[in-house]
Amino acid sequence: MKILVAVKEVAALDEDFEIRDDQLDVDEDFLLYDLNEWDDFSLEEAMVIKESSDTEVEVVVVSVGPERVDDVLRKCLAKGADRAIRVWDDAMEGSDSVTIGRILSAVVEKEKPDMVFAGVQSSDEAAGSTGISLAASLNWPHAAVVAGLEYQPGSNKAKITRELEGGLSQEVEIDCPSVLTIQLGINTPRYASLRGIKQAAAKPVDEISLSDLGLSESDVGVDAALSRVRRMYIPEKGMASMIEGTPAEQAAKLAEIIREFKGE
Amino acid sequence: MNEAHEITRILFEGFSNWSIYLFYVIGYTAIGIFLYGVYVQIRKYRRGKPDASWGEFFARFKDMCKTMATHRTLKRRDKSAGRAHALIFFGFVLLFIGTATITLEYDILEPLFGITFWYGDFYLWFSLVLDLAGVGLIGGLLYMMYRRKWLKLPKLDYARPDREPGDPDYDRSGYRREDWAFLWALILIGFTGFLLEAARLVWLSETATVWDYRWWSPIGALMAHVMAGLGMGAEAAGNFRTGLWWFHGVLALAFVALIPYTKVKHIFTASASLMFRDPMAGKRLPSVPEDQEDIGIKTITDLTWKQLLHLDSCTKCGRCHEACPATAVGAPLSPRDVILSLREFANKSLQSKELPEQAELDVHGKDVGQVFMETLWSCRTCMACVEICPVAIEHVPIIVQMRRKLVDEGNMEPILQKTMQSIHKNGNSMNESKRKRPRWTKELPFTIKDARKEPVDVMWFVGDYASFDPRNQVVTRSFAKLMKQAGVDFGLLYEAEMNAGNDVRRVGEEGLYEFLANANISTLEKCDFNSIVTTDPHSFNTIRNEYPDFGGEFEIQHYTTLLKQLFEEGKLKLNKKLDYRVTFHDPCHLGRYNKGYDAPRELIKLLGCELIEMDRNRDNSFCCGAGGGRIWIPDPVGIEKPSENRMREAAEIEELDVFIVSCPKDLTMFEDALKTAGYEGKFVVKELIELVNECVEFDEVEVIDADVVSA
Repeated sequence: MKILVAVKEVAALDEDFEIRDDQLDVDEDFLLYDLNEWDDFSLEEAMVIKESSDTEVEVVVVSVGPERVDDVLRKCLAKGADRAIRVWDDAMEGSDSVTIGRILSAVVEKEKPDMVFAGVQSSDEAAGSTGISLAASLNWPHAAVVAGLEYQPGSNKAKITRELEGGLSQEVEIDCPSVLTIQLGINTPRYASLRGIKQAAAKPVDEISLSDLGLSESDVGVDAALSRVRRMYIPEKGMASMIEGTPAEQAAKLAEIIREFKGE
Repeated sequence: MNEAHEITRILFEGFSNWSIYLFYVIGYTAIGIFLYGVYVQIRKYRRGKPDASWGEFFARFKDMCKTMATHRTLKRRDKSAGRAHALIFFGFVLLFIGTATITLEYDILEPLFGITFWYGDFYLWFSLVLDLAGVGLIGGLLYMMYRRKWLKLPKLDYARPDREPGDPDYDRSGYRREDWAFLWALILIGFTGFLLEAARLVWLSETATVWDYRWWSPIGALMAHVMAGLGMGAEAAGNFRTGLWWFHGVLALAFVALIPYTKVKHIFTASASLMFRDPMAGKRLPSVPEDQEDIGIKTITDLTWKQLLHLDSCTKCGRCHEACPATAVGAPLSPRDVILSLREFANKSLQSKELPEQAELDVHGKDVGQVFMETLWSCRTCMACVEICPVAIEHVPIIVQMRRKLVDEGNMEPILQKTMQSIHKNGNSMNESKRKRPRWTKELPFTIKDARKEPVDVMWFVGDYASFDPRNQVVTRSFAKLMKQAGVDFGLLYEAEMNAGNDVRRVGEEGLYEFLANANISTLEKCDFNSIVTTDPHSFNTIRNEYPDFGGEFEIQHYTTLLKQLFEEGKLKLNKKLDYRVTFHDPCHLGRYNKGYDAPRELIKLLGCELIEMDRNRDNSFCCGAGGGRIWIPDPVGIEKPSENRMREAAEIEELDVFIVSCPKDLTMFEDALKTAGYEGKFVVKELIELVNECVEFDEVEVIDADVVSA
């Protein structure tokens, strides 16, 4: 029995930052890296299943990215994951969530897990599509925004609760193996102590290249991506203003603005 | 005149041989039961981890004797109980020495060497002293009974805040029964002793060597007269004496036999606990050797033998229960109950012949006898419990080491996890960029030296709250101006300073603490300075007491002593006095942790303020609730916070103007509590630095003015 958890190292902006000269991203010097918050929850969900199971459950974390990504994988190992895999090739630079999903699906085919978890979205790019494109590549059943899970390791069905808009919840039965994208709040993630992270430094992170996965350079990277970043920029500020006063005054002011817009 | 040899008490007088043999059989059995019990206890302690406290054995022994002889720790915050205990203790010790003296003569010196000494004047003085000892013992016991029965002291209520009524381990009435059995057993032994003395006098009233000297045992003589007055004859007294003799003897021997099995064992365990006390307990938490894989306390056998011994020395006096800020506000923690829970756990699992399975030794969890996570996280590590414990139990190190295990297993409140991650990432607990740390200096009219680049006399370690919190920044800048005015050659570490780690360590995140301590030490070691000053008592404590364990030996003082010194040297001068009515809150880490009680008070007096002490002051200061990482965990809503409790206490002072603090965290906690507890407008919370700042003569402005005039 094996659960594969796909994780991402996300970037957070330091207080002052600069955009790269090619205007496609933020200058790396101003980024602070950490494990994506959603992934804390999906890993925890896998760990809870592992710890409450009578049968042996292996939790494998996987991430696509350069060497610095080892840090977040070690954090996952410190939290109790059994193994970590990092996939990288310079050709993967510029991959979008669809290509990343394709790469991850190759890992799934190699590892043959019984279940795959990913976070609903990443906190830096917030596309919310990697997990689902992974499922699409695999042609596996999938459910997004999972806020509750009942699953017995080895079972071919899982009962999940999905969080919908407007405060609604939806209970779904899903065939397994499947890909679930896990929502914040589904559990209380554990803490990775600094000693734990240090001790995890001794554990190996398996490095996997393109050829190990049977992929070629043309399957990945910016050219294979379905979307490409054209420009990253800081939008102009000062476009919004707060309307103050009594409700009547606010309404009058709003009406005036609308009339102005309409050119009346 | 009688021969001196004849003035004595003939042992076993009128006993047949077989009854003497019977008595010896009972006596040896009692000793056997006692010794077996001692063996079981020692086996229990040996199942704990090693501890290096055997060092300086004689110094420790001397210290223990001194503490016991003066009863210093027992008299604190409960004088009458301390005095009563002293009566019982010294009475018991004298009576024991008396019995041992008789044994020495009768069973050892006389049969082996024919030496006797228990007669004549020695015997008479001996009788008198033991009579008085008996009076002391009974008097002390009577007070203790009165205290238990009628004083209804909250600290003697064994209700547990960490369990609900009805929980299987809620009920502690067994302890109450034991308390009373102990008191009754001792008082009966004492009382029947006197009765026995009296019966013997009446029985032997015709024997001049006995009756003529009866007033050397005044209580016995008095009772003998009463007995005779009530019509008891010599023969009746003789019969009465025989029955009573056996009752007294068997009760006393049973008492001895049961020592290791009951609370009576505190005679030994409390003394030993005092002897192995660590004067640095809690102030300097134990480091973890690099090659040690496991960390913290998970199972009962992870406690050291010394800690297991501490558990056994608790007599439930309740002083810690009364002092604990968490207990006071109804949090699910009482230091007493943590100790008792662990003790019960140890007794259950470590007294058996075979050690139970590892899984059954886990002290963490929700099961009967285990310690709840909520209990451990409720601790503010304020050290009030350790400080007041009369038998030197070290609660805080045990709690922190249990937390270390929780942290190791990842059991930590999400909000605290975020703070720890922020400290790791940014070096501060405010989730601010490293670059922002020295930003408070920008509003100063002068530049502070960068101690990384040039040598300074005094290195100022600022600390997180003083650096980042806007309210505290005002104070921080005032302190900078004061140092500048006094001509102190000082500098900062600027962006390179990191959280000192005091509270991180007390959370139990030892790995992160090691990281912070090592980082700060290596930064400090690269700089050229003579001593460190800080306004933050938390940083002060860890740099002073804990950095040396990591190779960082620095001279450090809290700002209160530096300011005092600057006034004494005339480097700071007052241009006015303040007529405020004030009270002073001792920060835990300055007061209890480092005994810095006087410097702030002297400064307050120097300023001319009228200082009115709160009831809980100095060593009994009441924690603001922020210690041990609790500043990063919001207190539950709906129940009073420790800081609000403190505001309530301060508000009892009539016409109070200022509640003075000398710690950045205190300023944050109490300014908040002043509002939430509803005392805003009644008095204000201020840092001592702000008051000093109000009346120090600053010459800079005047110098500039003078220049303008002369130009």
